[in-house]
Order: sequence, then C-alpha cells, then structure tokens
Amino acid sequence: MGNKQTIFTSQQLDAYQDCTYFTRKEILRLFHRYRDLAPQLVPLDYTNQPEVRLPYELIGSMPELKDNPFRQRIAEVFSEDGEGNMTLDDFLDMFSVLSEMAPRDLKAYYAFKIYDFNNDDFICKSDLEKTLNKLTRNELTEDEVRMVCEKVIDEADLDNDGRLSLEDFQHMIVRAPDFLSTFHIRI
Amino acid sequence: MRRMSVFPQHGTALGLTANEIRQEVENNTSELVSDLVNLSARARFQAIRSLPVSFNERKTIRNRVNSVKLSKTMLPADCRQQVSRSFRKFRANLASARQRLVVWQDTLKEIGGRFGTSVLSYFLFLKWLLKFNLFSLVINFCFITIPQIVHAPNISNPTGFRGLELLTGVGYFNQTVLFYGGYNGEVIVSTLAYNMQLAYFFTISAYLVLCGVSLLYSMSRSFQNNFVLETGPVSGGAWRLLCSWDFSVVNEKAIQYNKNNLGIQLKESLSERLQEKNKMSLSDSIKRLSLHLLAWLLSLGLAIGSSAGIYFLGKEQLIFSFDHDPNDLKAEASTLLLPVVVSLINLIVPLLYSLISRMESYSNPRAQIYISIMRNVILKMSLLGILCFYWLNDVPNSTSSCWESFVGQSVYRLLIIDFIFCLLGIFFGEFLRNVIGTMWIQSLGVPEFDIARNVLDLIYAQTLAWIGIYYSPLLPVMQVLKLFIIFYLKKVSLSMNCQPPKHTGRAAQIQTVFIALLFFPSFVGTLAMVSFTVWRLRPSDQCGPFQGLNTPFYAIFNWIDSIHGYPESNWVWWIFENVLRSELFYYLITLIVLVITFFLWQITQGRKELIKTLREQIANEGKDKAFLLNKLQTIQKQRREMTSYRPQDFDQTPHFNPNWMNTLPMDM
Repeated sequence: MGNKQTIFTSQQLDAYQDCTYFTRKEILRLFHRYRDLAPQLVPLDYTNQPEVRLPYELIGSMPELKDNPFRQRIAEVFSEDGEGNMTLDDFLDMFSVLSEMAPRDLKAYYAFKIYDFNNDDFICKSDLEKTLNKLTRNELTEDEVRMVCEKVIDEADLDNDGRLSLEDFQHMIVRAPDFLSTFHIRI
Repeated sequence: MRRMSVFPQHGTALGLTANEIRQEVENNTSELVSDLVNLSARARFQAIRSLPVSFNERKTIRNRVNSVKLSKTMLPADCRQQVSRSFRKFRANLASARQRLVVWQDTLKEIGGRFGTSVLSYFLFLKWLLKFNLFSLVINFCFITIPQIVHAPNISNPTGFRGLELLTGVGYFNQTVLFYGGYNGEVIVSTLAYNMQLAYFFTISAYLVLCGVSLLYSMSRSFQNNFVLETGPVSGGAWRLLCSWDFSVVNEKAIQYNKNNLGIQLKESLSERLQEKNKMSLSDSIKRLSLHLLAWLLSLGLAIGSSAGIYFLGKEQLIFSFDHDPNDLKAEASTLLLPVVVSLINLIVPLLYSLISRMESYSNPRAQIYISIMRNVILKMSLLGILCFYWLNDVPNSTSSCWESFVGQSVYRLLIIDFIFCLLGIFFGEFLRNVIGTMWIQSLGVPEFDIARNVLDLIYAQTLAWIGIYYSPLLPVMQVLKLFIIFYLKKVSLSMNCQPPKHTGRAAQIQTVFIALLFFPSFVGTLAMVSFTVWRLRPSDQCGPFQGLNTPFYAIFNWIDSIHGYPESNWVWWIFENVLRSELFYYLITLIVLVITFFLWQITQGRKELIKTLREQIANEGKDKAFLLNKLQTIQKQRREMTSYRPQDFDQTPHFNPNWMNTLPMDM
C-alpha cells in the first residue's frame, strides 16, 4: 500500500504486525472499524499514542459480537482494565486471537479465561453452571444442569482436584479438533 | 506454548511479598527474552505472536528482544538482519496481495455467520475444487490449446452450429480443440521446435502429479489435525459444551437455533447416561445383525444392478457411432439417454438408501452417517467404474474413428446432464420441499442442508472432470463455470430454503474423510484410467496427437531415442533406460518405503506408551501439588499463630519442626 497512511508511524505498524496475526492492510481496516464505533472519541492520528478507551457498551454493540452469549466475558478478558473497556491495542489483540491464524494453544488459553467467570485460574463448578446457562435457553432444569457439570468435571479433570485447570482444559481441546474452527470470529 | 508462572496470581496467597513476586516475574521475563533471541527470525516472531499475555507486555517483550538482537550484531550480521527484515516485509506484502485475490470473502463470512462452520465447510470445499480446475484450465490452455489454435489443422466436414451441440458435444464441437480429436501431433517449427505430442503428454501428467501431491499434502495435514489420539478416558458428550460453541455465528436467529440444539443434545446425552445399558438378548442381536446384513445386501444389489443396466445401455448406444448423418437430430438426442439414466440413478438410489437405513437401528448416529456415506460412495464409484470399463474396453475396439473424442463427448454429456439435474435438485429438493414443509405438511418442517450428500455430488462431478481431462483438454472450462454457478445458487437456496443441520458433531473428522475420498477412489481411479489409456491402448489412427503410434507412451520412447544421439543429454537416456524402465528400481523403492513405514509405526507405538505414562504422572503431580499447597498453608498459619501468641502461652504451643521437609513420605 505504500506509506501513504498517516494514522500510525511505521514503527507502530511494524510493532502491530509483529505482535498480531494481521497484515498492514487488515490493521488499518480494523482501525477504521474501531473508529466507526465512536468517531468523536477516536482521533485519526495515533502517532503520539493517545489514551483512548472505548466503553464496553460500544464494543458489545458490534455486529460480530452483539448476539454472542459470551460477549461480556470476551471483552473483559481482552481489556486491560478487566471491565470491558478496550483500547485499540486490546481491540486488535482480541480479533487477532479470534482470527483463523491463531494457533490452538493460544485460543485454548483465552477460551479458558473466558469461561473462568470468577478469574481464579480454575474452571470450577459454578463457572461451568454459568457457562451452561448462557449456552442453553433455559431448557435444562436445575438438576440437569448440575448433572451435566458433574459429568464434564468427571471426564476432563485429570489431576482430580474437582475443578479444571488450564492443562485439563487444553487436554480436552486437543480431543476436539472442531475447536480451532469454531473459536473464530470473522471480521 | 510457554507456561506463564503461577506466582503473580497466587503469590500473595502463598505469603510472598510484593518484591519477591516482582523478582520472579523479572526472572521469567529475562528467561523468555533469552530463549526468544536464540530462535531463528521466523520462529521468533511466531513465538512472540503466540505469547498468551496482554498486548502491551507482548510489545515490551518484542522491543526487548529486538534491542538485545541489535546490541549483539556485528557488521556482517547487520546486513543479514537487513536482508531478513526485508524478506519478512516482502512476505507480509505477498500475504496482503494474496488476500486481495481471495474471492468470495464476504459471502463466506455471511454464510458462516448464519449457518455455522459445518455448512461453511461445504463452500470451502467447493472453492478448493475450483482452484484445481482453474489451474488445469490455465495450463491446458497455455501449453496445448494456444499452440494448436495458432497452427490449426484443417477441419474436415465442418457442420453448422445447432443448439443441440451444447448438450451433446458432437457436431460442431467435433473437430474443435475442445476434444482430443482436434489436436494433432505435429512438431511445430518455429524458433524452437515445439513437439505437440510431448506437450500434450507432459502437460496432463504434470497436472495430475501436482494434483496428487496437493491432495496428499491436504489429506495428511487434515488427518494430523483432526484424528488425534483418542486414548484416555472414554469421551462422553458433555465436555463438548465447552468446546463446540460456534463463535462465528452472528445471526440472532441462528444463535437461538444453536442454543436449542445444544440443549436438546445435552438432554439426550444425559438420558443415555441415565438409562440402564440393557443387555440385548441373543435373539435381539441376531435380529439386528440380520437386518444390517439385509440392508447391505439390498444396497450392494442396487449398486450392482444399476451398473449392469448402465453397461448394457452403453453397449446399445455404440450403435450410434461417430460417422452418422449429422442431420439426424433424433439419433443425436438419443445419446443423451445414457447420461440422463446415470443422473436419475444418482438421484433416486440414495433416497432408497436412506429409506433402507431407516429400518435399521444404529447404536450411535455417527456410525449411521459413515455407513450411509460409504454406501453412496460404493454406488457412485461402481457407476463410474463400469463406465470407465466400457470406455476403455468396448469403445476403442468398435468405432472406427476417434474413440477418444467419443469418450470425451460422453464425459461432457455426463457433466452437463449432472449440472442440469443439480439445478433441478435445488429447485425441487430445496425450494419446493421448503414450500411443502412450511405451507402444506407442517410436520415435515424446513429441509436441513445435507452436507454429506452435497459434498459427495461435488466429488462425483470432480472425478468426471478429472477423467475427462485427457480426452477433452478444455473440459475444465465447463467445470469452472458449473462450480461458479452452483456456488451462487446454493448460497441463495440456503438462505431462502434451508436450515443448518442439527447434529454438527465431529465436522472436522468428516472433512478429513471427504478429502480422503477425493484422493482415494476418485483421484487414484482417474490416475489408473489415464495411465491405462496411455500405456496400453492403441490411439485412433486418424485423429489426435498420438495418431500412428502403438500406444501414446511411444511418443516418449521415440523422444528418448532421438536424444540418445546427443552426448550432452545422454544422462536422460541413461536414467530412462536403466532406472525408470527396470523393475529392480521399483522393488527397491517399495522395500525402502515399507521399512520406513515399519519404523514410524514402531515410533508411534512407543509414543502412545509414553503418553499413557505421562497422563498418570499428571494425575500424581496434581495430588502432590494439592498436598504441598495444603502443607504450605498450614505452616503459614502456624507461623502467623506463633507470632500472635502471648508469651505465657508459649510452652503450650505445638513445637514447630524446622525439618518438616523430612517428614514427607518418601515415595513422592
């Protein structure tokens, strides 16, 4: 594309290219998507690295995320402040991990963090129950929810501590080859 | 992937001070940086990208790595770094340029957003087949057709263009470059002598070899990714809830639909667990087995019966040979009878198969899908097999002129009629079925998009296209047009008429099976047929590039003999005569491949053992970790309690043993 763009310095673009799975063109396109969410807040000149943080409500209203049952957790996991308010770096990072070029281990790590509702680095039974409630439309009774969660922990818990650690989760992911293509948001 | 240390999160729980935590983090980071510096440039950037840290930390680490690298460089290495950096920039530019060429990006995104990844896989498969055909079209056109057009042979008996040609391929198209007969094997004399025979042979064989290599590569990559070791605890369905939610679906209705499905599937898996696994009585299992046997007999009988019918129909059609009255439209239209019958069989018999499978009972739905795929594949391959047999056996001995063009025209007709039936299938199978299901018979519901059936149709059409390339070099034109039109029509029909399939489990494994099917019966069969034609059959005497030779392969023999005289190309002759033509070479190669396969199999067995041991070790380490953490916490508590005791209670406190490490059991 040449050096016609004035939004980023070329060092900034190089850093973005090295740290995410996107090419220059995609980074610029994603910047414009970010800016379209709030044109009055996001300046067109990022060369002096302004501190711009878009609130969660704007991020959650993107068409790619607005109906996703996990949109709040996704925004919380990728945002720096943990509340869902994202800077441009967080935004790029999020879509880079969710793109199709990210490797399975990286996606498994972030999927683990998304499903870990109480942020204690373990997926315990209450996390699983919350996940299940978000994924089904109140079709399962309380008992059924409890049984499903017990079954998951039975099957996946390798070190028998009653909750899933990151290794257990990754081991499960290895046995689910569909994961790489389903944990993927196109933008 | 680098495992991030647990200290920053759990440090405070273990009673470490903030300084200690910071020190540990700093140690980890410098270790990481020194590891990264030692990797090659490409591996380094892959590793940096896949670090599971926040973006700012990643940028810091990247900057540190770069500064360390910069400080280490001497002048020659600096040039090397410049070169590698410019090479990386070039590769990035190439990737972005390639993205501009990606066609249908938005359409695919929309389809994936509404229907999920399993339906998307059908369209991606279609796109992949399109690439094969485009490539074939380009090289055939450049290397064979253009030289032939430029030095056109004289066309005998030109007939006018009537509309029927588009369907039957005879008449006007007879002597054009569309078919084998339109080429001749002269050596075009220009600045470089261009031997049309060799060009024809080598272009087609190069294309087939490239196809084979690409298919093998895709198949092995797909197998490696999707068929991982299924050892370990028996996987139920419950953990799938964490792994199978399709994040790429963005349409609200589709998401609700997926939620419903997931709920239903979970309920089913729970009810299976709750049910007692009732032992089947002997008579029940015999009954089931005999039903299965009956179903298989019926399916195979149908397949064999249809193949025999096609064969006899084909033999009758041979009466209509090449030299006929061009104005006899009725006779010409009757050549369309065979393709129509084949397409009808392809349409009706799979429906019969699904009826048959309804009377059987399967233990799991996955077995049902695989068995139905296998039966359909047997049917299609037996049809194609019998057609190939008929083309290679009966046709060369009967028609007097240009049997290759006849075969090419038959393939052309089959492809066109298959396309028309596909269009009819979209109209009746999806549109009308949707109308019936929603307006008249409500219980039927909206039709599901049957991925397996559609992909098998694609594989069938692609097999035909590959078979036809030798006999009709420009056949990929039709296949490319056909795939384009089918893509758009299927997309429209999908959005208007269908709903996504309910059971989407194991989509990735079924993908691998489809690629394997494309390789094994389809491509290998084509290769066998073309090789047989080139190696054994006598080409027709009056048309085509190989006229007058015993077999087309004699063109190679003649060429090798002709370069035997020149000393500088003697090594080619030597390799051909003594290596490629001697049987010992092939025995040795086979032996070596078998030995290597045996070694690799042994390595795999050893690794399976290792995985089992490692799994046990993980379970043990988990127990150790829990034990040690508990111990540490009780000790912390004791230490805290000790400092807060009043002095007069001192001698009542339990004695803290500094050698608590030695009290651990020995077998840890």
